[in-house]
Amino acid sequence: MSENIVILMIGISTLLGAIGLLALIWAVRTGQFDDHSKFIDAVRHDNEEDLKDAAMMEEKKKAYKEKIKQEKREKEKNYRPAD
Amino acid sequence: MADIACTHCNLTFPEEVMIAEQQNNKQLFFCCKGCQGVYHLLNSEGLDTFYDKLGDTKLQPAIQSNEDLEKFDLEGFKNKYITTHEDGLCEINLIIEGIHCSACVWLNEKVLHKTDGVIETSINYTNNKAKIIWDPEVIKLSKIIETIRSIGYNAYPYDPKLQEERAISTRKTYYSRILVAVFGSMNIMWLAVAHYAGYFGGIQQSFKDILNMAEFVLATPVLFYSGWIFFRGAYYGYKNNIVNMDTLVASGALSAYIYSIYAMISQSGEVYFDSVVMIITFVLVGKYLEVLSKKHAVDTLDSLMGSTPTEVTTLKDGVKSLVSIENIIVGDIIELKPGEKVVIDGEVTWGQGSFDESSLTGENEPIYKKKHDTILSGSLCLDSVVHYSATKDASNSMLTSIVNLLEESITKKPRIEQLANTVSGYFSTVILIIALLTFVGWYFWADSFEQALIVGISVIVIACPCALGLATPMATLVGISVAAKRGILFKEASFLETMAKSDVLALDKTGTITEGKPSVVKSEYIEAFDPSLLYSLVSTSNHPISKGIKVYLENKHETLELLTIEEITSIEAKGIKAKYKNQSLLGGNAELMKASKLNIETDSHNALFFFTIDDTLVARFELTDTIREGAAKAIKNIQDLGVKVVMLTGDHEQSAQKVAKQVGIEEVYAKLLPQDKATLIDTFHQDGHIVVMAGDGINDAIALASSDISIAMGNGADVAISVSDIVLLDEKPESLYESYKLSRRTFGAVKENLGFSLLYNVVAVPLAVMGFVNPLVAALSMSLSSLVVVGNSMRIKSLKFKDK
Repeated sequence: MSENIVILMIGISTLLGAIGLLALIWAVRTGQFDDHSKFIDAVRHDNEEDLKDAAMMEEKKKAYKEKIKQEKREKEKNYRPAD
Repeated sequence: MADIACTHCNLTFPEEVMIAEQQNNKQLFFCCKGCQGVYHLLNSEGLDTFYDKLGDTKLQPAIQSNEDLEKFDLEGFKNKYITTHEDGLCEINLIIEGIHCSACVWLNEKVLHKTDGVIETSINYTNNKAKIIWDPEVIKLSKIIETIRSIGYNAYPYDPKLQEERAISTRKTYYSRILVAVFGSMNIMWLAVAHYAGYFGGIQQSFKDILNMAEFVLATPVLFYSGWIFFRGAYYGYKNNIVNMDTLVASGALSAYIYSIYAMISQSGEVYFDSVVMIITFVLVGKYLEVLSKKHAVDTLDSLMGSTPTEVTTLKDGVKSLVSIENIIVGDIIELKPGEKVVIDGEVTWGQGSFDESSLTGENEPIYKKKHDTILSGSLCLDSVVHYSATKDASNSMLTSIVNLLEESITKKPRIEQLANTVSGYFSTVILIIALLTFVGWYFWADSFEQALIVGISVIVIACPCALGLATPMATLVGISVAAKRGILFKEASFLETMAKSDVLALDKTGTITEGKPSVVKSEYIEAFDPSLLYSLVSTSNHPISKGIKVYLENKHETLELLTIEEITSIEAKGIKAKYKNQSLLGGNAELMKASKLNIETDSHNALFFFTIDDTLVARFELTDTIREGAAKAIKNIQDLGVKVVMLTGDHEQSAQKVAKQVGIEEVYAKLLPQDKATLIDTFHQDGHIVVMAGDGINDAIALASSDISIAMGNGADVAISVSDIVLLDEKPESLYESYKLSRRTFGAVKENLGFSLLYNVVAVPLAVMGFVNPLVAALSMSLSSLVVVGNSMRIKSLKFKDK
């Protein structure tokens, strides 16, 4: 058995493990484990409809951002420097 | 008659009182208009799948109320609870009331999602707190609250910055650190297996280098990321000239790490990376167990603050107006309606009524106030409209000062130095000195710098206190779980130790030693009458005396029915009057009887209740607050443990002495205001006592917060529960005794564990000093000693509570 194989084996397995670890830490940091009951109960109500809801909320957010941008543009357009 | 479940809330009622309705060949029943309204609303919105999700869960009947909605749009409210984002969106944190199950959460989220202008909602399933972000240009907050109310729930605002956020973020960082530590140590373990195999069976240097390198890569993040807490602790210790456990862990792990790098590069000797990660992981897990059992956020204090009104109705030249409480000045006339909470102290100028001052004095009996009487904020107006003039402004009023005192007390809570900290302080100093001496000794004796360094480091590594670090958390964790099974909730692990050391127990009278509600002790039926009449009469009132009579009747008579009585009027602080067919019913206290010119016997220590039909006295009841079952015995047992028991109460001297005599307490302090109780606790502190305080009301909250350990009864005021360290769910006085016993047993186990880890070091350290320790021995002994500590802690479970 050559050294390279051992390096390869240890290297790849550690890397894969580290990716899993990072994903887990990311999940903890973004609060995905904060709500114990949601973790267990919310699954029961999870269906296509909720997905639609989530998409709708995203759209609302986008629409709002769009509105803000629009207003800004309006403001800029109407801006007249003081004479 | 068969009872039928309401289609909306699932509560069961007799069929004839239900509102029946026919819809698409389906027979529907509703218990009230509120439920019916919600059902149709959900149906028309296409949200009726809610009922499938709900299953058999019972809800509260929906109450439609749209009062005080305008307060949500007022400026004062906005400044206090609403945060405005940079992009113009508003955010608020709400506690939603009435949530019973996940289906309720689903419904609330769903409805809010459908509302225009609501940009984001998330509701926590565990504590029912919601975060809502909305566009103030599209929708007003009052409209959002109205939407929540329209489906049968209610919402209060709260301020999350208080404590919650900090607690959550500490827990999260610990969690990430532990994940890294566990990941690192698990991987190093399997590399170490190859290492040890090579140690015994021979291994080529080239393979050893690879293993060393891999262990180095894994150990580095564990030491510097997960172990950061220890470096920080050691640094603070160094700044304050204290040697603590963190110093030992940090110096041990770091020196082993540096030496291992040296061994790896110079290709001589063995590496200690596995010991490095193991020390960090074990001690970190111990610390995490402590953080985990720390008091969680004060959810309920939030709801108290949220339910206090931000505006009051003032009268100026006959004009009523809503004014924010901050703008009230002394002398303003304020109008109080029935059910309103007083937020500003004052003096009655017009009207009369009963006030519930239980949050200030702990006594449940309402107090009758007439013109020129003072009203204290925090009390509740029960039955009539009263005008009063403000004698203090908002910031000086009773309620505000109580809340301020409370917040102060929580942060100033005395901390008893933990035994493990004291021990590990000395221990760390001794070990560091021994390690230094060993190094110097070997350097001169063996005349080899390298040899001396290895032995010196191995002393620190082997002594490194895995067992010591686990000694306290393991024992207290087992102690806490045993307690929880018996209905005693310790909110923080260290309380077990403090409790075990305490020598004074202060008890509140009402609600702690006694039941806290009056019950009938003597009854006299002067003439025969239908008990259902009395039952119907007292059912119309929420007064504690009426409730006491009601409970008594329910226990005594089997066949009671609610008769439809008419013209019910409650006479302030005296009683109730009503009509049934042609009979006039009257129930109330002695004063009421005298007013209707009845000759009655009023000589009694207890509260009296009389019942007349058509001006003839038919029944007489004596009520008093009864002492909890087993109180005297539990107090006796606690006194036998060598703890001094005292009683603190807001009640007057006489009744306090009476109760004290019955349960065997000698020291009694009566007529105390909330602040006085806290001052008394402080006096005990100054005398060097460690004080445990048990209470149940808001009036006890400050005293609870300033005592070393505070115990609350499970059904006490929410604030009392949230500031307390231990909650007794079953409210039995025996639980007080049990918690004493359990905490002493646990503390005993902590001592045993500490003793064992010290003993282990007495054996292991000399071996290390003589240079007999290699990485394998270090790893084995560390695991073994930790196992012994865990095993010893488990023995707490076998503690017996029953008397011999």
